[in-house]
Amino acid sequence: MTKETPALNASTFYPGSDHAVLMLHGLSSSPLEMRHLARYLNSEGLTTCAPNLHGYSAGTPELRMEAWVAAAVREFDALSARYPRVSVCGLSMGATLALALVHERPTAQAIVLLSVTLDYDGWAMPWYRFLLGWAYYTPLRHRWRYHEEAPFGLRNEALRAKIGRAMQRNDLSEVGPSSISLPALHEASRLAASVKKSLAALKNDCLLIHAIDDETSSPRNAQFVAANVGSTVLRTIYLDDSYHMITSDNEREIVARETAVFLKESEAASSAEGGAKPVVSKALARRLRQMAAIGK
Amino acid sequence: MNIQNARRWAPRGKRVWLMSALALCVASGVRLALHPFLGPVMPGVAFCIAAAMVEYFFGLIPSLTVMLLGLGIADFLFVPPYGQIAVIDRADIMLAISYPLVTLSTITLIERLRRSQFSTELIAAVALSRYEMLLRADNERALSRRAVDETHRLVRHLPHYHDAIILLQAVERSAEHGANEMAPGRLFANAHPDDIKRLQRGLQPGRHRVRMASGDGMHRLVECICERFTTHAGEFLILRRID
Repeated sequence: MTKETPALNASTFYPGSDHAVLMLHGLSSSPLEMRHLARYLNSEGLTTCAPNLHGYSAGTPELRMEAWVAAAVREFDALSARYPRVSVCGLSMGATLALALVHERPTAQAIVLLSVTLDYDGWAMPWYRFLLGWAYYTPLRHRWRYHEEAPFGLRNEALRAKIGRAMQRNDLSEVGPSSISLPALHEASRLAASVKKSLAALKNDCLLIHAIDDETSSPRNAQFVAANVGSTVLRTIYLDDSYHMITSDNEREIVARETAVFLKESEAASSAEGGAKPVVSKALARRLRQMAAIGK
Repeated sequence: MNIQNARRWAPRGKRVWLMSALALCVASGVRLALHPFLGPVMPGVAFCIAAAMVEYFFGLIPSLTVMLLGLGIADFLFVPPYGQIAVIDRADIMLAISYPLVTLSTITLIERLRRSQFSTELIAAVALSRYEMLLRADNERALSRRAVDETHRLVRHLPHYHDAIILLQAVERSAEHGANEMAPGRLFANAHPDDIKRLQRGLQPGRHRVRMASGDGMHRLVECICERFTTHAGEFLILRRID
């Protein structure tokens, strides 16, 4: 029996400009973990929508990963009908879901991948993690659940203590659920496997932000995406003072600012008027020339 | 700085295990080929090298697997009596002590170095990210400074050329061509209406020739200049007469 309150997993929508951002939260979690980022992007003028996805979010019946993608596509289409530009931003498994969504809807303006999770291979993952794929085919499937433990994806100790208390009271906190079922993990693995095959086909502007000491998904995940994605505009940012939940941890302001800057630059670069910011800093011009030379 | 993910430096997947199996096969093949020359001397060296190579490229677990399987193969095939596992003598014990000792020492050192290398690479990636963020912030600062300088130039320009200004135009990027907002200057009423319409359609920075009314009611061509001001409040074009 779950103890979560309905308000914790409600969808959020902040209206703004004609550039909307669809924000996908992590596995079996809630839009609450995107709240800080959604508010910041909205304060920068963007429309943000963090939906509760049927079959994927906490508090909904668990469905197969095809249903997750279909639910995300429905939300994307609903935004596309109202806004000329729609970008997709995902956190953790939400980033993997965002990749699957953009593969289905390549018209997306840009994609922002925060702590992208293709493998649960961070330093805090249990040693028996590799056995869970087989455990799914045993009676454990409906009995066993992966229980979140400290550090709960947080390097910030004060916030970690607060989340620890919140997880004792509820099944859900602002950084995710207290436990994840085996079928949900199995579907997440299937989703990641399908996304790995389709990365090269993605041509949208892409921003990757990952903490090097992510305890859930190691930086190898971000490196894999960066090496295989087909985007011509790719920006990768590594953080050193956060764990997995980078939208809530010590560097959440950097994450929010860089996400807003990237989305605005992507919008400006693609606009007919060519409103991209001019490069007047000589050091930046030099760095861009170096990067262009490396890319040749 | 302790990076706990440094231990995750090794690649993963089926390819890792295939390559490890290949390394074990190659080590066995090489040792078998050299067996007529070496006999019982150095039975585990080929497997030690294989385990070290696997450690360097694929990490700890495949390397330990290669080491253990190599110990079994070396003892079975290259320690007399050959092809028998039941007999344990001094040579077997020597191999069981020396081979794991040397191999584990090598593997441990390589593992530590690889972790340090990965940790350094991650810290360098953070430094590079921060440097690029700094450069972008620096660019924004430079743009803001330029906008402030331009605003000051505009503020000085307006009173200085007050009597020579024909029109001011605010440039909006999103506006259609010719739909930019225009404000008349002191000489606006003297300009020929056709020239005003032409300028409204597409005013560009640079020199222009505009027909201006003279005292006798006739219009004569006058040299004018249009200047662009990129201020923090937006872009403006100012057309003025050159005296």
